[in-house]
Amino acid sequence: MSLPNQNPDLEDSINVSEAHERAVREAAACARENRVVDNGLGPISIWALIVCGVVLLIAGGVLAGGGDLFSYKATFREGYVRAPAPGAADSGPVPKEALAAYMAKGAKIYSAKCNGCHGSDAKGNGSTFPSLVGSAWANGETERFSMIILNGLQGPVSDEKTYGVMPPQGIGMAPEDLAGIMTYVRNNFGNTKGDVITTEMAKAAIEISAARKNAGNSVTSVELTAAHVKALPGAMMDPKTLLDPITLAPAKAP
Amino acid sequence: MSSAIQNSSDQDALLRAGIDRSLRHPVMFFMTSGAAWLAVSIVLGIIASAKVHSPSFMSGCAWLDYGRVFPSHINALIYGWGFQAAFAVIIWLMARLSRKECTSAGIILTAGHIWNLGVSLGLVGILSGNGTGMPWMEFPSFVWPVFLVAYTAIVIGSFIQFRVRPEGHVYISQWYLLAAMVWFPWVFVTANTLLHCIPGHPLMAAGINAWYRSALIFLFFTPVALAAAYYLAPKVTGRPVFSYSLAKLGFWSLAIIAPWAGMQKLMGVPIPFFLPYVGAAATVLFFVPAVCAAINILRTTLSSPEVVASSPSLRFMITGIAGLVLLGLAAVWLNLPGSTLPLTQFSLSGYGFEILAIYGFFSFVMFGAVYFIVPRVTGREWLSRRLIKIHFLFSVYGIITVAAVALFGGLQQGIGQEEWQQPWQGAATRAYPYAVATTIAWCFILFSNVFFFIHLALMWLRLGRRSLHPTLLVSDAHHGPGPHGEEGDIDNAGLGHAAAH
Repeated sequence: MSLPNQNPDLEDSINVSEAHERAVREAAACARENRVVDNGLGPISIWALIVCGVVLLIAGGVLAGGGDLFSYKATFREGYVRAPAPGAADSGPVPKEALAAYMAKGAKIYSAKCNGCHGSDAKGNGSTFPSLVGSAWANGETERFSMIILNGLQGPVSDEKTYGVMPPQGIGMAPEDLAGIMTYVRNNFGNTKGDVITTEMAKAAIEISAARKNAGNSVTSVELTAAHVKALPGAMMDPKTLLDPITLAPAKAP
Repeated sequence: MSSAIQNSSDQDALLRAGIDRSLRHPVMFFMTSGAAWLAVSIVLGIIASAKVHSPSFMSGCAWLDYGRVFPSHINALIYGWGFQAAFAVIIWLMARLSRKECTSAGIILTAGHIWNLGVSLGLVGILSGNGTGMPWMEFPSFVWPVFLVAYTAIVIGSFIQFRVRPEGHVYISQWYLLAAMVWFPWVFVTANTLLHCIPGHPLMAAGINAWYRSALIFLFFTPVALAAAYYLAPKVTGRPVFSYSLAKLGFWSLAIIAPWAGMQKLMGVPIPFFLPYVGAAATVLFFVPAVCAAINILRTTLSSPEVVASSPSLRFMITGIAGLVLLGLAAVWLNLPGSTLPLTQFSLSGYGFEILAIYGFFSFVMFGAVYFIVPRVTGREWLSRRLIKIHFLFSVYGIITVAAVALFGGLQQGIGQEEWQQPWQGAATRAYPYAVATTIAWCFILFSNVFFFIHLALMWLRLGRRSLHPTLLVSDAHHGPGPHGEEGDIDNAGLGHAAAH
């Protein structure tokens, strides 16, 4: 008795030479391949080194051209003013009418300082935050209005109601900002005073505020009525005057 | 003695044939669907490019707005074609070089289908207006985890094959493959988590996005293409790689330089000041690894001009390496902060550079690899040398036009943009003729790739020639020129000794 695998595995149904040819053909592409060898000992040509060296120098130049790479001040330059393009006269920013220029400043301050309580429509909420729309104090005497913004307010307001305590907003506020925010509130949200509080007037307001008897505390309606029901010193500006929108100085004649 | 060698080389050939057979369907799946996405991407690219010079072209269809069709063009090119071609090469080359059969073809095929599903859904997302707006990452944010999982399933087998390889020498291609397989998930996860999961300052997000694009080119597509080129050059010519030390220099300089590149696109933006300068310097330095690899590969191949003339894989691969040299030169030339960088930051040049990298360099090397791999995994020879020649010529003419035009046209456009006192119309007018040329060139490339896709699909259906002789680009004197290659050799010709291709 022979082991089963000693018999040749031949069946009539298999054409051996055909099957062999197929196997050879399937492996033909592999059989004709070369072997991969990577042990070449070719020298690195001097020209390649020179070219790479030149590129290395260029890259070094790129890095060095940046100057002080880790300096904060190189990116955030204080008082940076864009240099005029070579060959072109720097005409500066396009002048704007005074009202629009001050309103643009004021809009930024409003959204940063006032929006949170008085709301984007300045109507407040009726209980803790009073409305500025049509408010007698906002649209009335400028000194009273400026004292409220700079020092905050407690106690009853112009409509005799008592709302929440308004915190002072004057800390760190520049005269341009105060002038902007006052002009913005008096000419927006349905208020139509049509006048422009100038930077000079705002500067005077800040001085008056600093000279108050109880400086540092919020103003009250009593104090306002006693001492501040008057216009700020200085003349209003013609809203049509052309100004530089950034510095708010009168625009140079073109 | 001689018969022993013959025997061992026969067994070796059988082992290689076994590896090829085990990878037939994964490799052909990636290549064929990649080629299909390439054609789709080019159609989208033609529409996008046509809109640059004729804004009213197809303007009635919101799905084909420039802002949607251009990102879908780029994303289909990268994730549809680029990655799938790279997957095919990675799994085949790693299996061959580690001498291990693929045991996870089913997993790879499943993951490949998931990847394709991701690309399809992503493109629908972009075209329906739900793109993220971050260049090269426009697919809606649900796509990237899908890609990551599919990628892991596809390459995990290659990692294992490398780990359990027979002891011995690690070949140059394996360095590059392994590096690409590790670098890609690093880059991909970093950029996507930073941009999708923990969004920080938008300016820095733009910087990370610019780094991601540069890193995909330099840390994934470049090493994969170089791995294929370092394999094909000695394999087809039968010569040793020209210089081992040059290969080492090229690899390590790439590894050290490439991760720094990318943020030069944000020159002048208030992000940490050194980042754009380091990015510009690193991109300039990309020339070094590029030129090291190029010299090495060209010195290996060009000493056998007759093989280069006849082998389709070598012809495509060498064109790709020429593209690499151009890419290295463009990297130097376009990134000089004082002069050219401001002109290329916001113009067509960036696109030209990317297309040169993805198509002019990477894709050509991939085509070369495809022409080498497919006859092996299908057991059939390419049907027609004429189809290969059409693919080559139209692709070359097309890509030279697209890249040259985008690079130079971009500089012209940049000059127009720098004239800030002139209306923007000036920059558009300067770019107009270049945009027309780009459209025409993309049409050429589309023509060539439709034939490529058909040829490849026929090969996958195993309708290739049954022959012992390769399809070469020049006819062999012994066999006479048949219209479709050496048809006289079909069957029964015995084991031939034609040169490998």
